This record gives sequence, structure tokens and C-alpha cells, in this order.
Amino acid sequence: MGSSNNPFSKQRNSEHIKETLVKLTFIVFTYLIIFAALGIFGKIIYEGAPVLWQKGWSFFTKKPQTLFVNQVEKGEGIEIPAQNFDGLLANNPDADKWLTNVTEFEKTTEFIKFDLLSGSRIGSGYLGELESLNADVYVLYTERDTDAAVGFQLQAEKKISMQQSDYVALTKADHKLLPAETPERTVNLSDFELTIAAGEYPIGKDAHDALVPTELVFQMRQTFADDEPDKINLTLIPHEQTITVSADIYYAAFDEEERGTLPVKSEQEVPVSRTFRDFTLAAGSYITKPEALSILGKYGIQHQHDPLKGSIVLNKNITGLTVPKDFWGILTQANPSLKTANQSTVTADTAYIRFDISKDTEILLDTEDRESIASANEATGKFVTTSEQTHSYSGGGVIGPIIGTGLLVIICMLVALFTGIAASIFLNEYARAGGFVKTIRLAMLNLAGVPSIVFGLFGLGLFVILAPCVTSTPKTSSAMMVPLVKLGSKPELRVCEQQHIYICEKSNLSSSELTTIATANGSKLVYDGWIWLSLQGWGTSILAGGFTLAMMVLPVIITSCEESLSAVPMGFREASLALGASKWQSIRTAVLPYAFPGILTASVLGITRVAGETAPIMFTAAVAEKSELPWEGLNSTGFDKFLDFLQSSAQALPYHIYTVAGRIPQSEYTQPMQYGSVLVFMLIVMSFAAISIWLRARVRNKIKW
Amino acid sequence: MNQQDSANIDPTATLSGQAVTAAPTEAPDAPLRQDPAHTEHLHAKSITENALEGKTMIKIEDLSFSYDKGKTNTLRNISLDIPEKQVTAFIGPSGCGKSTLIRCLNRMNDLVETSCITSGNIKIMGQDIHAKEVSAIELRKQVGMVFQKYNPFPKSIYDNVAYGLRIQGIKKKSVLDEAVERSLKNAALWDEVKDRLKDSALGLSGGQQQRLCIARTIAVRPKVILMDEPCSALDPIATAKVEELMLELRKDFTIVIVTHSMQQASRISDRTAFFYLGELIEYGSTTHIFTNPTAKQTEDYISGRFG
Repeated sequence: MGSSNNPFSKQRNSEHIKETLVKLTFIVFTYLIIFAALGIFGKIIYEGAPVLWQKGWSFFTKKPQTLFVNQVEKGEGIEIPAQNFDGLLANNPDADKWLTNVTEFEKTTEFIKFDLLSGSRIGSGYLGELESLNADVYVLYTERDTDAAVGFQLQAEKKISMQQSDYVALTKADHKLLPAETPERTVNLSDFELTIAAGEYPIGKDAHDALVPTELVFQMRQTFADDEPDKINLTLIPHEQTITVSADIYYAAFDEEERGTLPVKSEQEVPVSRTFRDFTLAAGSYITKPEALSILGKYGIQHQHDPLKGSIVLNKNITGLTVPKDFWGILTQANPSLKTANQSTVTADTAYIRFDISKDTEILLDTEDRESIASANEATGKFVTTSEQTHSYSGGGVIGPIIGTGLLVIICMLVALFTGIAASIFLNEYARAGGFVKTIRLAMLNLAGVPSIVFGLFGLGLFVILAPCVTSTPKTSSAMMVPLVKLGSKPELRVCEQQHIYICEKSNLSSSELTTIATANGSKLVYDGWIWLSLQGWGTSILAGGFTLAMMVLPVIITSCEESLSAVPMGFREASLALGASKWQSIRTAVLPYAFPGILTASVLGITRVAGETAPIMFTAAVAEKSELPWEGLNSTGFDKFLDFLQSSAQALPYHIYTVAGRIPQSEYTQPMQYGSVLVFMLIVMSFAAISIWLRARVRNKIKW
Repeated sequence: MNQQDSANIDPTATLSGQAVTAAPTEAPDAPLRQDPAHTEHLHAKSITENALEGKTMIKIEDLSFSYDKGKTNTLRNISLDIPEKQVTAFIGPSGCGKSTLIRCLNRMNDLVETSCITSGNIKIMGQDIHAKEVSAIELRKQVGMVFQKYNPFPKSIYDNVAYGLRIQGIKKKSVLDEAVERSLKNAALWDEVKDRLKDSALGLSGGQQQRLCIARTIAVRPKVILMDEPCSALDPIATAKVEELMLELRKDFTIVIVTHSMQQASRISDRTAFFYLGELIEYGSTTHIFTNPTAKQTEDYISGRFG
């Protein structure tokens, strides 16, 4: 028995078992963390990597789009632009099962290149189209003539049955337009006399629109947004009223389905006879007055003029415009007094793909690809879709959210680092220990513990709707306005129109009078020749979001900056001071350089934190749907453009993930986008962490003591 | 090189060598530490020529100083005249206030917010340094300081020495080059580092780093150099080199040194002040203090009975 001689032999008693059990427990819990991490990362990578692999770079370069799931009949000779064909392949990994006879060919499209001369008259819709076709063209205009002729075109002859009242107005506006013979026709119809009780009732948008032109007095509790056609809002009928409405209004507002909502106390049919004039407009181009066009618009004549305002008179030449040939035809016919020069035909060869679909199948398409394939096969009618399902945000890529998050992080870090480093230098180097510093530290500790949604609300209240702005066109909702300088130049007419700026000719009104007048005129912005300091907020913008995130990350930045500052040996400060350096000189040359690695790490950690925050940007910066990147679609120039850019909203990655994962109906088609976005997000955050580790190691190697 | 080699063998040899060059008639191999008479001899000339008749550089009058807004005085009623271009040593047990006093001389105590002078004043070159119109920054350009723990910046040797000039706004390379070379030569470091001026100062040995700190201080050409236990973190060989340097520097600078080592005080200083519990017990020529102290406390301390 050798062991009995061993004074250190292992004791197999309960104590020993307890020891082992405790150790085992610790091991199990430790491994649990690893398994949890592996599970999460594994799942995301397992699901997300194939998406990135399949979509390739296009996932990073495309904007988020709606995904169309189309049931397509088999067909031959379907054409699609080559670039969209790539999108088609990326969305349909099973394409080889139905895709046959793929051939590449060049399709020649004709364009007209021309200069538009000063003095041209053009309809606002056509001008808008020209601008959208030529990216860098934006025409300001200073003169407008409502008597200017406008034109429209009819592809085929059009039969019109016009009410007598409109007919009279039309003949007054432009009698040359109408044919000589316009037979009169009298039709017996019914009007309805209705009595409606007072009260508060829910109505839909169609009913609301029908009621607006009637004599009924009513008040809506909320307005109808354009993108929510099915919404029901409450309407208030203040007192009992009796109105007479025509049959079409009756059926729109009081028909069977709506009857329950607006209580009709009594109704009575009143027979009326209406006179109609029937005539036919032949196919071709017409030139007429805006008022005439406005009447014809009610009878289905399509045009892109603004009949209320007539044509726009250009006051400068625009050179180098390019439009497709078919649009050129429409443009010249609809705008008879267009002065053009240097007109030439340009041809462009676009790579197209022609392919067959060998069997009825399901094809997934992004919005862009779907539009181009539909228009390319419009004439031949070979691409036949039997049914179509849409899935929001499930197509395209994530470039918008990536850029939005990047901009938010940049703005946030600029603000947070300047403020944070300044505050930590003050606290660590200048401030005397005492109540003041203690209070600040307590405040910071509390701030660090505030939930991020509270920061979001704080940002909404402070930056979105209350932050100061210096502007010549303050919002009427401004909390306070202080006049600064009198300015001469008026905002441009077109800008006024687009932004609904109310121009006040008197320049000596008080701010409250000014906002009251502008509000009464239905404008949200007002101009009176002064530059105002206005507490009106920055709106839902990357600037507001960046500042909100900065407020949130500030305690973290200050704490870690202070730590890195106090880690710098006191000896450096003393040595520097003893050499005759001033306080700031010694901080700048003997403290900050050595605190730099710590500050760097803090800021990168801050970046990863703010990049991932959803709640603070929900109310302040992020939007679910935005087809333009923040710097796109801005019509201002120079510094104004930069300000507009700062005040534009953006998509952001964490909010995008929230949208695709939580706010749209889930299906197998939405999943790839979810996992893809999460994987991209994780890659970005992890690469930031890696950069921070690498940077820190590099700087730390250079500077150490 | 020779001198360095011998220094490696015997720490006292360097000083002996110094003694040879300074006073060739002295016996070069006399064991320095054991013989106070030798020390006395070494300084006999300087004391007779300088110490007793030296022009006063720093005049401390009835100084009381407190770290806690005057509740307790760390220094009490200290009056002391420090002569120009001599080495004055402050000795005394830990906590006696000698470091506090030296830090008063270039107002480094300003960094402690609750500190204040409760009575008396300090005049350097005739100017009360706590007067309102005195800038601490300008004062510190004239009164440099070398700290207990050598603290070169984590920069190159060149940048360390040029630091003081650069913060004064001197950017011209030729001026900086000249000042760096002169200072390093003055600090007896030039030969050791002239080929690696761009290397990090932290690659130097402890003694070299402390001499670099001295070079950094003299680069701004102060009138006074304060040394707060400059050798306490150094080994005997490095200590010997720094001491040798101090004896060299006293030709150009007024040096005030705080030291815990009585041998060091006796080796390098012209005058010695002994502090005990915040009071100046005795002040006089080093020879006098070490051979014939007036106060009993001084005698007890230097003979090792306490402290």
C-alpha cells in the first residue's frame, strides 16, 4: 500500500466531491455562454451567408426595394436589359430550370439631344420630366404667364359627353377647340335631398372626398394620409343639416355600405334634368388655354400641364438635354411654343438579353427589374404575368441603410468626441475637486443609465422640434422667433411653390402675426424679408439623430476619456509644467498624445454602440422607406445644399432590420433580406471592433512608458 | 571610456577621479565615505571662496506653508538664504517638509488646490514669487526642476531635450539642434546618445534617463535647478554620474537638492539645511553641519541615531 505512505494522497470524501461539483457547475455556465454565442452567430452566418453569396455585391450596392413574386406563363423571346438580367439571376437561383435560349443582343435606342432656348414655354409636368431624365438640370423660373398656351395630345379620337355648365365654360375659354356641331342631349336624373343628424361618425377617404364639394358642414378629427387609403377617420357634424346632392355623390358618400356611418334622418329623391353635349375630339395635337385644358382634364384628357398656372417661361438657355425619341414627340406636341436648337439624334446601344421561359413558373423580381422587363416586353406582350404578390423591402440590397448608419455615426462621433474630450479634459485636468464635479459625475452616471428610448424622446423634443435654426423661411410651428438681419432677395418662385412658402409683403409684422397669416394661407413656411433665429427644430434628420446619439454615448465617451487621461503619469504633467509650459500647453503636448490610444478605443467602442442603436433614431432620424440617399434629390446648391443634406432623413441599418423583421408580414420571401441585413450589420460592427483592436495595438506600440 | 570602466568597478572611483581633476594634490584613492575630513577638504576651497560670501539667489523669509487651507502648517517659519551658483542640500527625515519647500520654490505646489502660504514670502532674484503680477510659467522657465522619479516623455531623446524650447515657440531647427547638443553635453550625456538622438528616451538606462531629464531642464537655461531626490531611484553607479554632473553644473546654475542620503549631501553640497517636522533646525556650510552641528537633533540625525 504505497498510497498509505503518501502524506499528500487524494482524499475521496464528500469535501472532494463538493469541490468537483462546484468546478463542474462553473464550467457548464461558462460553456453555456460559448454555446449561446455560437448558436446566434452560427444561425446568422448559416442563413445570411448564402444570401450574400447569391446576391453578391448587388446586395451592398442596391437600395432596398419591394420584391415582386410573379407567376409567369411560358413564353419565347422575352427581352430584358442586361443589367436587369443580372438582378433576375440573383433573385432566382433556380433559374436554370426554366431559363432557356439565352442570347445577348444590342438594342438601339434613339435619343434626341437638344438645347432649350430662353423664352420657351413649357408645362410644369414636362419640365419635371426633363429634369428627371437629365440628372443635373434644375430650372429655376422667375416668370409665369397664365394665359400662355398649353398643348395636349390625343393618341386616338375621344368621345366626350360634357355637362352643359362645363360646355359653356369651355366655349368661353376656347371655342376653336370644339367641333361646330355639338348635339344637345337632355337626361333625366335624380338628386337626393338628405337630412343628416349631428354627431361624430367614422367615414372613409372616398366618402370624405365626395363630401368636400357639397354644402355639408363637417370637421375631420384627423386628416387622411395619401398612403393609407383604407383608413377610417372620425368626422364631426356640428348640427343637423339638410343638403341636396347629385347621384354620384350620393352613391359615394351614402351608399349601402356607408349608410350606417353617416346617419341619414330622411332622404328624398328629387328628379332633375341635366343637359349634356356630346362631341368627339379627333386624334392629334391640340393647343388651347389652361382654363380649357382644366375643364377637359375632368373628362379624361391626360396632360402634364398645371392648368391653374399655365406654362412656365424659361429665362435662360438649357444646353445638352437628352430625351428618348418618343418623349421628344410628346414634348414638342404638348408644348407648341418650345424653342429648341442644335437638335440631333443620338443613338445608344444597350445590351439586352433575350430568353425563353420553358414552363409556367414563379419569378422573383426587384421593383427596378420588374419595371424594365415589363416595359421592354410591353409591345410584344410576350411576358405574361398571371398573378403577382408583393413583399415590401424584401428585394434589392442595403446601400441606403448602410450609408444612413454611416452618416449618423460620423455626425454623432464628431459631436460626441468634441464635447466628450473637452468635458473630460476639464473634469480631469482643470476642475477642482468639490461639489460641482461630484454633481457632474452623478449626473453622468445617471445619464449612462437612461434607457435609449428616453434619449429618443428627448432628441425628438429637443433636436427635432425645438433646436435653433437660422433661416429666412421659418416654420409657422416655430416655438420662438427672433429677427436677426433684413435680407433683400426673395426665395425663387419655384422653390416657394415646391415648399409652400408664404410670401408676406409687409416686413414689419411681429413673429406671431406672421405665423398666423401664413397658417391661415395654408403654408408651413413663411418669408418676409428677414433672417430669423427660429426655435423650430431640425426635423427628422441625420443631424437630429446624430446629436441624439451623441447625447446618449457622451457618458461612455467621457468616462473612458477620463480614464485614459488619468492613466497618463502625473510626472509628465509636472515635468512639462516645470519646463515653463502653460496648463494647456502641457495638456496638449504631454498628456493628450499619451491618452490618445485610450480615447481612440473609447471612440471606436462608441461607434459600435451608436451604430447598433435603434430607439434613439426611431423618432429623430430614421425612416423605413426612402428611395433616395440623403444627398440625392436636393435642389439647392453650395452651402444650402449641405444644410439640406444635414436636414434630410435617412434609412439606418438597425431600424431597417427592425422594419424587415417586425413590421412587414413574414414569409419565406422576406427571410433572405432579414438574415442578409443582420449579417451585413454584424460584419460592419465586428470589423469596427477589429479595427479598434488593430489601431490600439499599433498606437500602443508606438507610445508607451 | 576609461572613466566609465572604472566607474563600473568602484562607484567612488569616479568621484575620486573628479577629485583628482578638481584638486590634483589630494590623494586620489582616499576612501571618500569613511573620511569626513576628506569631504571637508574637497569643499574647503569652495566654502571659503563662495559659500560664505555668495550672492543670495533665493531668500526665504519666515515661510509657513499649509496643504489644507491653513488648518495645519506643513512648514513653519522657515527663513533661509540660498546663495547663487552653489549647491544647497535639504536633508531631514521623511515628512519633514524638505520636498514641500523645494516645490514652493517654483510654485509646483500650485497644483495642489488647497495649498497656501500662510505667512512669510519667497524672493528669487529679489522678486516675491507669490506676488500677483508673477507668472508661474515665467517663474518655472527660470527655476527648473528635476524630479525624484526620472520622467522623460515617451518621445525621442532629441524631442525630450527640445521640448522646453518648443513650447516657448522656438521652431528653427538650427537653434534647436544647437541647444540639444549643448544641453546634452552639459549633462554629460552627449557622447552616449549622440548617435541615437531619434531613438526613444525610454530605451536609455535609469541613470541616463535622469541625466536626460537634467539636460531637458538646462535646455531652457534656468537660473536655478531644483532637484527633488534625483538619485533615489538610481543605482550607485548612476548616482555617481549624476553627482559628478551636479558638481559640474554648479559653475553655471544655482542648485537646490533634496536628498535622503547624508553622504550625498556631504559629497556635493556647499551648504546644508536640516529640517525636522516642518521646521528648519540648522542651516550652514556643509562642513560645519557635518563636523560640528550646533543642534542636538542635527547631530543625532547625521550620526544615524534616528531618521
